[in-house]
Order: sequence, then structure tokens, then C-alpha cells
Amino acid sequence: MHLDFDAGKYAVYMWPAFGISVLAFAWMIGDSLARARHWKRELERLQAEVKAGAGEPKA
Amino acid sequence: MDARHPLDFLTNPERFMAFSRWAAPMFGAIAGVLGLVGLYLTFAAPEDYQQHDTVRMMFIHVPAAVMSMLIYLFLGIASLLALIFRHALADAAAQACAPLGAVFTALALVTGSLWGKPMWGTWWQWDARMTSVLVLFLFYLGYLALRSALEDEQKAARAAAILALVGLINLPVVKFSVEWWNTLHQGSSTLFAAPENRLPAVYLWPWALMTLAYLSAFGSLWLVRIRALVRRRKARALALRLAER
Repeated sequence: MHLDFDAGKYAVYMWPAFGISVLAFAWMIGDSLARARHWKRELERLQAEVKAGAGEPKA
Repeated sequence: MDARHPLDFLTNPERFMAFSRWAAPMFGAIAGVLGLVGLYLTFAAPEDYQQHDTVRMMFIHVPAAVMSMLIYLFLGIASLLALIFRHALADAAAQACAPLGAVFTALALVTGSLWGKPMWGTWWQWDARMTSVLVLFLFYLGYLALRSALEDEQKAARAAAILALVGLINLPVVKFSVEWWNTLHQGSSTLFAAPENRLPAVYLWPWALMTLAYLSAFGSLWLVRIRALVRRRKARALALRLAER
């Protein structure tokens, strides 16, 4: 099947719409993964801290 | 007695984490495949005799508009469950879908405006459909602002949930605005439209695939964000425990 990427005089409207959609998805994916990674690391760090401190006598 | 509810895997945080661990990447992969095929069909579809090449904008604008309403419905349901049952996962589900819903609504508004200029001769018109979608966007922003404005997380969650429920009133207005009023925005031409208004298969397929791709992408990102919120809640509880020592 022939792919038509030539939008002619409508390119000035069409490509920004596709570009903005790509950017929006890139932000949603990047932000969601960054948050997931941050809280995974933070939780692992705190769990290790709790575990390390479990054997220590209370002050 | 073990009277386990069928949706227990979604209400129990441990089971939810086990379920979402494989479900999030699975939905992401489905979205990728559907998106690629949908984009291929988008640019393989012939020009429309009236809309010419701008018809391709339908395959990114309409799915974004569908998602803006669907996500708000999820936000409303999750907020209702969080308010009634004070369920932490329901609250996380509501909190996680709000920024995604706001982005899809912004996309619907911007791509609609870029489509409107060459077809209607205007970037914007205060007609019922466009105005009600703008109101939907403002409800999303209001929800996000309330959640971040109040320091007490429980109070913020409660206030935002009430706002989300109030905003549900706007959903039927968005959906039926093109039927209730004489608007510049055209009526539905997809699956639930009258047969004489329905898109031909050559346009219906790319629309359907792109809509399913958007839906799967949202499903994947929603689960990823809920997982992050579940971990944040646990991390904060641990930090509190450490501080009390």
C-alpha cells in the first residue's frame, strides 16, 4: 500500500498536530517511568535502612 | 472462611503489585503494536474528498477526545470508591489518572484547534462541544491543583475527590453537546453513529486501532503511576518509622 506523507498546503496544520501528540506521549511515558523508578529506589533504600537498624539497640 | 472477591487482585495492594508487574508492560507492548499498525493505516488511507489530507488528524484527535472523557469517568469512579470505602488503592488510582487525563484533554483541544483552522476557518469557537471540553480540562487542572495545594494528604484527597464527582456532571454535556445544541463541531461518525453518518472502513480501521492504542497506552501508564504511588505511600510510612526511632 502507498504511504502518503505529503499533506500539501495542510502540512502546516497536520505535522504540528502529530508532533505535539508525539511530545505528549514522550512526556507521559518519561514522567511515569521516572516516578516509578524514583519511588522504587527510595523504598528499597528505606527498607535497607530499616533492616540495618533492626539489630541496633534502641537509644 | 476465604470469601475472595473477583476484583480482590485490584483492591489488595500486594496482589495489585503482582498483577500490574506483568500487566503494565503487556499493555505497553499492545499499545506499541496497535500504534504502529494504526499509524501505517493513517498514512495509507486515501485523502478525503472534502477534508483532503487533514482527515489524518482525525486518527489522533478523536482518540485523544475519547480518552479525555473515559479517563474522567475512571477518575470519578475511583474517587467515589475512595470516598465511600476510604480505600488507598482507589485514591491512588484517581490520583494517577488525573495528569494523564489532563494531557489527553489538552491534546484533544490542541489537535482539534489545528484541525479546525483549515476546515472551519477558525482556531476556536465558543460552541458547546469545544467549551465543554475546555471545562473538562479545567476540572482536571482543578483536581491536580487541589491535590498539591493542601498539605494534609487526606484532606487534599477528599477535597479533590468531591471536585472530581462534581465534574462528572460535565461528561454527558461533552458527549451529547453535538446533539443537544446546534454546534460548529460535527456529530459522531464512529462506532455508535447512525449508519448514514458512519465512517467508511478505510477510515474506521485506523481510527479504531489508534483509539485502542491510546487506550492500551493509558492502561499501561496508569498502572505504572499507581505502582509508583503505592511505593511512595510505603516509603513515607517507613520514613516515619525511622524518624520515630
